[in-house]
Amino acid sequence: MRLAVRLAIVALSLTALLGLCVHYGATYDDNWPHPTGDQLRDDYDAYAGERVLLIGDVQAVDGDTLEVHITDSADRTAADLEVHAPDTTVDSGGTVQVYGVLEADQTVTTADVVVVNPDSHALYYKLGVSVVGVLLAIGYLFRHWRIDPRTLALEPRPTDTTNDG
Amino acid sequence: MAELLSHVLIAYALATAASWHYEWLTKRWVAIAMIGALLPDINRIGLFVTDATLESALGVPFDLNAVHTLGGVVLLAVVGAMVVDTHHRRTFGVLLAGALSHLLVDGLKVYADGAAGAWLYPLTWYRHPTPSLYVSADPAVLAVAGLAALLVWLRDRTRPKPETDQ
Repeated sequence: MRLAVRLAIVALSLTALLGLCVHYGATYDDNWPHPTGDQLRDDYDAYAGERVLLIGDVQAVDGDTLEVHITDSADRTAADLEVHAPDTTVDSGGTVQVYGVLEADQTVTTADVVVVNPDSHALYYKLGVSVVGVLLAIGYLFRHWRIDPRTLALEPRPTDTTNDG
Repeated sequence: MAELLSHVLIAYALATAASWHYEWLTKRWVAIAMIGALLPDINRIGLFVTDATLESALGVPFDLNAVHTLGGVVLLAVVGAMVVDTHHRRTFGVLLAGALSHLLVDGLKVYADGAAGAWLYPLTWYRHPTPSLYVSADPAVLAVAGLAALLVWLRDRTRPKPETDQ
């Protein structure tokens, strides 16, 4: 396939992807069954009394009570909630899913708390391990493929280097 | 979502196991499947730029998490298929298979309300029930994925090899 055709298809696909991100962003709030950080920030009281699923960072732990920081799409504070979570092992800096009834006094009557990251180190673990995964995939790719500068495309390496890989 | 190393190892294990049944699915295509497993997490660009910043720049609603859906990975697989010099359809299919392995594994993780993410978008916003098998920071996920990849790698080394790898 000619380079111009390939570039045209790439441009079309990336434009479609951009459109998909716009549509997703425009319709997400109407289709996700729980309030988002933006919605909580704009009108918290509209969701008081509702059963919600929220994901937030643990700001402080006081016995069985967690202070959970919910952010909006700009990473600004949308709400700081007090969550009673007995038998939950999480430290400040961790991340939790909170599923329960949102109360008007910025608390959640909790049905379930899931610890996503037990502390801030868990996030670094995920990021570090993910970087290893990216490097492994790219390294394995270039063990079997190489860039042809003439066509600006990947082409298979000669077969004698691929049979034992 | 699980971390990317687990996704890459799972794609390696699945693609290598599939290669035992499909002669054309050689190691170079296993490598493409591993790259496909990375595609959904391109939404992690959001670690560096918020959706709100992109919305301000573009003047329209915007959510990078569309990349982490069926529609997002189909379009990215098309882009990826244009990066190779030949075998565009095969590249598209293998990239998509790797990306789907990622989305399917993510569909097994814990959501406190019992339903997975709406990863079938734009076909539907349906959230299927999740068995809640893991949380993303659980090292057991990597242990299981690593063990599976190791067993497949060992089995692959001991089976008769085809003469060529095309």
